[in-house]
Amino acid sequence: MVNKKIEKLLANVQKPGRYVGGELNCVMKHADEVDVRFAFCFPDIYEVGMSHLGLKILYSQLNTVPYVWCERVFAPWVDMEEEMRKNGVPLYALESGDSVCDFDIIGFTLQYELSYTNILNMLDLAGVPLKASDRHSLSQLVVAGGPCACNPEPLADFFDLFFIGEGEEVDLEVVALYREYKKQNRSKEEFLIAASRIEGVYVPSLYDVSYNEDHTVKSIVPKAGAPMPVQKRIMMDVDKSYFPDKFVVPYIEIVHDRTVAEVLRGCIRGCRFCQAGFLYRPFREKSVDVIDRQCHDLCDNTGYDEISLSSLSTSDHSKLNELIDQLHTWTEKENTGISLPSLRVDNFSPELMSKIKSVRRSGLTFAPEAGTQRLRDVINKNVTEEELMKTVNTAFKGGWTTIKLYFMIGLPTETLDDVAGIAELGQKVVDAFYENPDKPKGKSVKVTVSASSFVPKPFTPFQWEPQDTMEMLRKKQRHLVGSVKTRKVEPNWHEADTSLLEAVFARGDRRLCDVLLEAFQSGCKMDGWQNFFSFSKWMEIFKKCGIDPAFYANRRRSFDEVLPWDHLDYGIQKSFLIEECKKAYSNATTPNCREQCSSCGAACFKGGICYEKRQSMV
Amino acid sequence: MKNVRVWFKKIGTARYISHLDLNRCMLRAVHKAKIPLWYTQGYNPHAFITFALPLSLGIGGERESMDIKLNDDEITREELIAKLNAALPDDIPVFDATEPVMKPGQIAYASYLMNLETKEQNPEETAAAIRELFSRETVMVPKHTKNGMIDLDLKPYLNLTEVVPKEDGVEISTVLPAGSNMNVNPALLCDAIKKYLQMDLYSDIQRIDLYNADFKIFE
Repeated sequence: MVNKKIEKLLANVQKPGRYVGGELNCVMKHADEVDVRFAFCFPDIYEVGMSHLGLKILYSQLNTVPYVWCERVFAPWVDMEEEMRKNGVPLYALESGDSVCDFDIIGFTLQYELSYTNILNMLDLAGVPLKASDRHSLSQLVVAGGPCACNPEPLADFFDLFFIGEGEEVDLEVVALYREYKKQNRSKEEFLIAASRIEGVYVPSLYDVSYNEDHTVKSIVPKAGAPMPVQKRIMMDVDKSYFPDKFVVPYIEIVHDRTVAEVLRGCIRGCRFCQAGFLYRPFREKSVDVIDRQCHDLCDNTGYDEISLSSLSTSDHSKLNELIDQLHTWTEKENTGISLPSLRVDNFSPELMSKIKSVRRSGLTFAPEAGTQRLRDVINKNVTEEELMKTVNTAFKGGWTTIKLYFMIGLPTETLDDVAGIAELGQKVVDAFYENPDKPKGKSVKVTVSASSFVPKPFTPFQWEPQDTMEMLRKKQRHLVGSVKTRKVEPNWHEADTSLLEAVFARGDRRLCDVLLEAFQSGCKMDGWQNFFSFSKWMEIFKKCGIDPAFYANRRRSFDEVLPWDHLDYGIQKSFLIEECKKAYSNATTPNCREQCSSCGAACFKGGICYEKRQSMV
Repeated sequence: MKNVRVWFKKIGTARYISHLDLNRCMLRAVHKAKIPLWYTQGYNPHAFITFALPLSLGIGGERESMDIKLNDDEITREELIAKLNAALPDDIPVFDATEPVMKPGQIAYASYLMNLETKEQNPEETAAAIRELFSRETVMVPKHTKNGMIDLDLKPYLNLTEVVPKEDGVEISTVLPAGSNMNVNPALLCDAIKKYLQMDLYSDIQRIDLYNADFKIFE
């Protein structure tokens, strides 16, 4: 619902459908009948934000509360932003068309470090003071959650509070507290102190951070009785936790335009580079009946004819075949397809392939992550070359001729031989195609080997590791290209400069708040979009702020250094991460959670796979 | 198999979605409403949906139509309308379903209502200026075509155009050639006003109806 003032801008912008709301299933309420207005802000454009499952869950859930109206806000594309600024139209929410500055709570989801400048730009466009210390009233409370909230320190100056962990319960508790304090006309300070008592709430202003002379963190001290450490919130009963029975169905095409079912949370694998694999522990499965009902409700209420079974590793669901069979009892009649977004190299079976007919014919993607067995052991990927060959042969028999393989370069202990191994592995897949008697007739094969640059992340065994310098990453990229011998293997890589910035902010501290502010003021935004990202501009900003990005990205930290996120607790013990890091250096692997418990600490949540009987014990 | 012409409006927020997006939106609605649609019998079965004459982005439609093929004669007109409305966003209301009479290819004209916002200018004077412009010998505007930009003279198409001052703006009602042979976008009238009169007026355009070459309403 947009007003005339906004409508006038739409004639001059691309894809006006991004900015009007009014989609099927969007929630309309009356502003004067609710106590709390919540602006759910996604710091990227509509098509990206609307594809995000977390937004769909929390939007629907907040709107189940009669006294809350949650609305959606996305970053306008640059053409729309220009029109808005030129015509004095502040950032508005899609449902009501009302300005974000009039909302009680302004919530951002932190998905990606390169969207941080968009957050500041959106607050500015809304006319909301950027720094938390410049916002004095209880309203315009700026909050955030999501995976990047596991180290929110580079954003600490701008946010009033962060949600640590999974949001379903803690969001509602904070909103309820807000309502109470708003009714009683209490101050923002009083509210924040009370909110900090809720498990999963981190109020950055209640912690004093001091630094050593070498700029490392000296100490993090809580005040006003704030908890130390802040425990993450987690939904232990995933069957009973809230899941929407309808999604907003966009008019315009979005990135993931389909029904998304969440089949499990967490991951059993423990790949040492993967932050999500540790943040969301322990592994918790939804039961087949619950997933089936949720899929059916969603399809009925949206009209989508495709279901994506989403999670960190869907093929690790212990009853995946049973689930797909149960879905098939109605999806075939209703012309609905099923797809799996993430396939593991080691369990792509002919059986699974025949069940997922709707896996797109265009290509199959697998992620061996590293080119040699040694390096795959270092990162604990636990995938062998033999398994990969078996899998691609299954795929070739099934008629696929395009295979995409994902790798990372810049992994700890990596040598140029490991990099060359990526090209060699691609070549072996090509050879396997020609040796396969059942290969599709008269067709050629294409294997894309895609290499992204490794970014060390907090709460992983590699959180102490230096990132390769840009020079080294580029050298490795060139080495990869040079190692490819045929045109059937196509190397593909991402620019290293965005990875550097990602690495800086992923493991940054509060000193980076000034850098972000300076970057916003210098016009940095949409940094995740290659054509807007200006590396030289960012380097100038670091220089101006007297901050060396290498300190954050390329420095090896010692195990006893105080890390900027040490006051946040995701249930994984630091001693376990240190052990894993040491094991990486001796090329030793760790069994997955289903095989054997490695005592990471996640059992403290008293559920999930940590408390399931293992096959070997039965 | 039964051919049905579904009549709907494209108003409010729905004005800002492209034809391609409308097509996808309708496919989803038909799927959600569980309408017994006839699917093509080829290797890659798909629903059969066609739209009479797609609207330009930003223009509203009061009487838009979509042709579908049903597998089943059982569903009543009322049921079909109710089911589709339950499956569509509020700004795409379905109001009728009929048996197609004319082919979409027969469409030759469309009528439009344009509301021009005059802001601080006087509506009477603005209307008079526009009338004067439309009565000139030639009214040339640049027009996008498949072969690049051409200069189009609007004058031959302005016979059925009325310009009326309103309280807060100017209302233009017009009938322009429409269809696959010759199509004149009503926004070109605004382009002419901007070019000749240097008035950049915000215009809200609605397509009211479609006609065949004999000015019979498209059915």
